[in-house]
Formats: sequence, structure tokens, C-alpha cells
Amino acid sequence: MNVNIENNAGILIANPEGRLDFGASANFQSLLEKSIAGDGSEPRALLVDCSSLEYVSSAGLRAFLVGARSAKSAGVGFGVCNLKPGVREVFDVSGFGRIIAVHADRAAALAALSA
Amino acid sequence: MTERRTTVSGDAAQLPVLVAFLQQFWSDHSLPAPEAFPFELSLEEIFMNVAMHGVTATHRPQVEVCLKHADGGVILTITDDGPAFDPLQAPPPDLEADLEDRPVGGLGIHLVREMMDEVTYQRLDGRNLLRMRRRLGS
Repeated sequence: MNVNIENNAGILIANPEGRLDFGASANFQSLLEKSIAGDGSEPRALLVDCSSLEYVSSAGLRAFLVGARSAKSAGVGFGVCNLKPGVREVFDVSGFGRIIAVHADRAAALAALSA
Repeated sequence: MTERRTTVSGDAAQLPVLVAFLQQFWSDHSLPAPEAFPFELSLEEIFMNVAMHGVTATHRPQVEVCLKHADGGVILTITDDGPAFDPLQAPPPDLEADLEDRPVGGLGIHLVREMMDEVTYQRLDGRNLLRMRRRLGS
């Protein structure tokens, strides 16, 4: 799975593309953890923009969970935005909306993570 | 024509083969693409469960996947010859736990139960048979 990462004034934005399934989850998880650890210094926050994420399974959810936990213990903000309907359903059914900040779009997410 | 089946070894490396099988079925029957999501998810969750937990020292299960389009829905049946395991008996995960206490596993079966309209399990002739159905357009 291709994941492009950009830096928006100290907030890292990860853009996963395609399918976050069993085969893709380990790499995605280590990429989140690496982003949280930062390059020299920690970022202010990590936002996962899911506008190109077509599919997520429980293996993918696990990567989000581990990422959110690492962010919390490092004092780094964490959130997701732009969930497509199928991905949104998986987040809702698994109760992840209660433990991970889900934002409607990038502007709302950046506003919340900059606060 | 409305029913197709394939058999693979219960090995995680076979997951992409099954995903391609499901996607081919979907396009051959001109089914709406977004409706494939809950079926791809259920296929992955159940197959990976067999591949991770159904393998013993002497036996790797064979997994048969059958897809059928009928009565406005799709029926996904997954059969394996591994040890008897009824996923419907698995305790539900604690969805109220907060971030630190959330167990990392146990979500897959829950997702399948929630996203399908019907899930039934049978142990038949030494095989686990899980039948899942969801209406299209629901």
C-alpha cells in the first residue's frame, strides 16, 4: 500500500491509498510509529487522511489502535479524517470512533489538532 | 452461473487469491462495487482466522469459498477441514474500553456479525461451515 506523508506546519499528514488489509497492516503500523517518533524531534500531531483509503479490516484497525496509543504516550496528537462510507462503517461498528478522534475533513482535523 | 467456488490452502499468502476471486465474481455479476466491502471484510476475517488458528502440527486446512447471488443478496460460505471452531461462540469484544485498555485482537468476528444480515455455523462431516448473507442495497 502506498502512503504519502506531508508536513503541514509541524503536523504530519499520512495519506494511505487503497487497501489496508492483513498484508498491508504491519508496514502501515510501523510507518505510523516512525512518524510519531519523528525525525530528530516529535511532530505536533499525526493526522491520517483516509480520502484514498478504500478498505480496512480488523488487521488495519489494529494498526490505527497501536498508532493512537503510541501517539498518546509520546504526547503527540492523533486523528483521522475523510473516512469513506465503508471505512466509516468499520470504525463505527468497532467502537473506534470513541477512542480515536474522527474528523469530517482535513480543515476540521487541522483546526482540532492545532488547538 | 450465479454460484462460484474455489479452494485454497489455509495459508495467509493465499488471501490475495481469494480477494481476486471475490472481485471477479462481483464484476462478472455487475454487482454494485461499494457493496463488496462487507463481503471482502468477512472473507478476510474468517479466512485469516483459519490461517492463524486452524493450522495444527500435522494438518493445514483446505478452505473452500463459495459465492452465490440470489434473492437480492449475496451468500458467502466458507468451509474448512480444520479443528472444530464456532466463531459465533467467541465472546464479544469490550467496545467500551478506552484507548489504553482496548485489547488489540478479537474484533474480526464482531465485525462480521455486525456487517452481515445473517451468520450461521455448522460442523458438518468434519468441516466447519460458516454461511454469511447480506442483502444488496441494504
